[in-house]
Amino acid sequence: MDKQLDLLQGTLDMLILKAVSLGPLHGYGILLRIQQISKDRLEIQQGSLYPALYRLEHQGWIASEWGESENKRKAKYYTLTAAGKGRLQAETDNWNSMADVIRGILGTKPEEV
Amino acid sequence: MKVWSRIGSWFRAMLWRSRMESDMDAELRFHLEAFAEDLVQNGVSREEALRRARIEFGGIERVKEEGREARGTRIIETLLQDLRYGARVFRKSPGFTAVAVLTLALGIGANTAIFSLVDGILLRPLPFRAPQNLVSITGTFPRGGFVAMREQMQSLDVSAYFEGHEFNLTGRGDPLRLTGALVSAEFFSVLGARPELGRSFYPGDDIAGRDNYVVLSHSLWHERFGGDPSILGRSIELEGVSREVIGVMPAEFVFPSAKTQIWLPLHNDPRDTVAYWAGDFMPVIGRLRPGTTIPQARAEIRMFQSRVPKLFPWPMPADWNADISVVELRTGMVGDMRSRLYLLFGAVGVILLIACVNVANLALSRAATREKEIAVRTAMGAERGRVIRQLLTESVLLALLGALLGIFLATEGLQLLKAVLPADTPRLADAHIDWRVLSFTGGLAVLTGLLFGLAPALYASRAALAQSLNAATRGAGVSVSHRLRSALAIAEVALAVLLVIAAGLLIRSFVALSHVDPGFQAERVLTARVTPNQEFCSDPSRCVSFYRELLGRFQAVPGVHSAAVVNTLPLGGRVAKRSLEIENEAVAPGEAMPLFWMDVVTPDYLRVMKIPVVAGRGFTSADDSENARVALVTAATARRFWPGRSPVGTHVRLSGDTGWRTVVGVVSDVRAYDLEKNAPDWINGTIYFPYASNATLEGGRIPSDMTVVIQSSLEPSQLQNVLRRTIAGLSPEVPASEVKLMRAVVSESVSTPASTTVLFVAFAALALVLGIVGIYGVLSYLVSRRTREIGIRLALGAQRRDVLWLVMKEGAKFSLFGISLGLLSALGVTRLLASELFGVSPFDPVTFLAAAVLMASVTLLACYVPTRRAMRVDPMLALRHP
Repeated sequence: MDKQLDLLQGTLDMLILKAVSLGPLHGYGILLRIQQISKDRLEIQQGSLYPALYRLEHQGWIASEWGESENKRKAKYYTLTAAGKGRLQAETDNWNSMADVIRGILGTKPEEV
Repeated sequence: MKVWSRIGSWFRAMLWRSRMESDMDAELRFHLEAFAEDLVQNGVSREEALRRARIEFGGIERVKEEGREARGTRIIETLLQDLRYGARVFRKSPGFTAVAVLTLALGIGANTAIFSLVDGILLRPLPFRAPQNLVSITGTFPRGGFVAMREQMQSLDVSAYFEGHEFNLTGRGDPLRLTGALVSAEFFSVLGARPELGRSFYPGDDIAGRDNYVVLSHSLWHERFGGDPSILGRSIELEGVSREVIGVMPAEFVFPSAKTQIWLPLHNDPRDTVAYWAGDFMPVIGRLRPGTTIPQARAEIRMFQSRVPKLFPWPMPADWNADISVVELRTGMVGDMRSRLYLLFGAVGVILLIACVNVANLALSRAATREKEIAVRTAMGAERGRVIRQLLTESVLLALLGALLGIFLATEGLQLLKAVLPADTPRLADAHIDWRVLSFTGGLAVLTGLLFGLAPALYASRAALAQSLNAATRGAGVSVSHRLRSALAIAEVALAVLLVIAAGLLIRSFVALSHVDPGFQAERVLTARVTPNQEFCSDPSRCVSFYRELLGRFQAVPGVHSAAVVNTLPLGGRVAKRSLEIENEAVAPGEAMPLFWMDVVTPDYLRVMKIPVVAGRGFTSADDSENARVALVTAATARRFWPGRSPVGTHVRLSGDTGWRTVVGVVSDVRAYDLEKNAPDWINGTIYFPYASNATLEGGRIPSDMTVVIQSSLEPSQLQNVLRRTIAGLSPEVPASEVKLMRAVVSESVSTPASTTVLFVAFAALALVLGIVGIYGVLSYLVSRRTREIGIRLALGAQRRDVLWLVMKEGAKFSLFGISLGLLSALGVTRLLASELFGVSPFDPVTFLAAAVLMASVTLLACYVPTRRAMRVDPMLALRHP
């Protein structure tokens, strides 16, 4: 496990929380939702989705419940918990300020130093 | 919240492991199918769609494994795997498993048994309401002092109690001698104990004239009154006084001691100045009032102690209750049993260490033989941590198996312990094996497993991969493990030496104690307490003639040589004390008169007990009269109070008495208190008076609880019958109790050192056996590893005695280093035993030497079998079959 993967993992968690915050979704639905919002610009490893889901559930950010899918099949639906809501907010803020800082650094011109 | 959800998720994961698995299956299957369906809608064939879905998804098993890890269930999976594997390994090597489990069971079992004692006696809360608030006041007070304390103390509710009183129960059936406690009215409420029937005492119940009540113990109620509830409100005759039974305490209430059969109110009567201010000096217990602490109570009681002497009608000595304090009741109850228990705990701790060392050694030899297996596992990708975890799981499993057997041994052992320990050990009945003890054992087993498993696991996992896989010979990697194993064997010998020395010191001390001349002849002497009511003896001459008549009847029995009565039988556990004034011996103001042990005897007593007279004369039948104002002193007393001259002809006077008595003789000393001391330290001398009607107790009374001593050639059982018949024939109202041989009285007096010695000898024997097994194991392993080498040596012309030396050298090394180390550490440790030793120094050279010799011979013995095997090595066989 190297750093790049760690970063990706962290982002994946955040994206999952965001996707679920828009309404209950099953695992496959989360995948589709992220792809749809990102206009297919983000490719998510399908295999890494589920460990991430289980980890988030274990941590109490999301909850799961068996329900029925659009085509009348049994599927496990994930929803955002109250704790997860807070977590998503915190992660979003964190991400935004981080992005600001990095944008600032990258946009620096020689005469500004 | 977060933590809880995590723990909850983990528990769900554990409990519903199988459901979780199927859930995960279903969820992943749904994903694949949903994905495939989308592809089908885009025109891909169903079969192709499913195939592509699976490829896109990646390794399903890997996802599942990561999923399990994310939920924390993987750790369980590996644990189960390791346990299964461990069980298989044990089944494959039953010899190793049996020896290891047995060794551990002995170590853990001994610790469990002793811990159940420690727990029951020292740790377990007292069986009373809010026991943490119960305290004991170190110091004793007469009734008057206690009543003042009860009125003044702000931080404590207090209650005084007096343990030692005995009462004759008469009226129905045979007369019975009961052990009772006199208690203040708030005794039961301070302890927070409720009766199982009726009521306990109300405030004011302990005031003279309003105190004709009694509370029964559960066992007395059952044994004497058939458990009949209608006993409440009825009266029973105690010492000829009729008292109303108001309550029955439940069986588990055993305070102040398990012997207590009845509780009576204190009978506080300020008008009876002597009894009120000088009678029973009683211990006091208390309950902290809400919001107060022990330090506060301690400060308050010290303030109180500075005031209370002024309340006495006479000056009190300055050192009375000088070191008064307040301690937890539990601490106050246990007394010197605490240090003895710690010693025992230390001893079994050493045994467990030896057991650990032993099993570590066994496991090390196995680790060497398992090098290949572990190398293969490493080659196939097992991390070192994983291998260590597996090996540790095995050793913990082994320890748990040992604990299981150990618990069985401990339940048996605890029964033995209870039989060996003196019956009056406080709270002995509270010791039993329950979940507290079991959780201790469980924890101990895990620790033990880690302790003995760590070295072998680290060693085995380090074994170089390539070396092990390639090395064809069995000698590879032996040196590291050999050094470790030698160190362990040396530690084992040292620990065993330590225990052997401790046991040896205790044996020497006990032998010294048994050879103490008690100053009397115990052979063929039967003793019995014959105790008429105190009321009966309110007319002293009636009491005196009762005993005189009784002794006359005994002496008429054929086979009885002589008979006498005494108030306090030597070594009988009772002390009779009186303050005494010695002629021409002024007592400085503010100092107390010397306190004497007062033996009151009939003239034949010295003859029955064969106590020699060393100066002057003994008592004669002429002294058996009220007019004979005579006394005898012991040799030690004579030396102390009449140094350099003879006390014969001088005079003494009992405090509060008017007439002087003449010392007519000096008798030799008797170990009356215990075999170590003639009398407790606070007693200054010993004096004998004839049992006659001139008063010898406070308040003009004479002793009514005498012990009969009979010297005879009859069989003890025969004599016992005669004794009971004779007493019953004389008075059906007088009970005979504690009928036993004088020899038994003597041996009961040393039951505490005897039990400590027996236990330590048992522990030392255990340590020796484990030590032998350990050294034998190391050496035979060594021989089996070097068979090939020995074969080559023999083939090259080495003599058998060279081989002998080769093996013995190793054994001698363990022995020498181990014994030296053991002796050195014993020098530092045996002083802990000092308080248990009598007549032997904790550094007794004889014991140290004997332990060294014993250990050396034992290690030699352990070398014998492996050495013989080495000497029988056939060079041809050894070379052909390495």
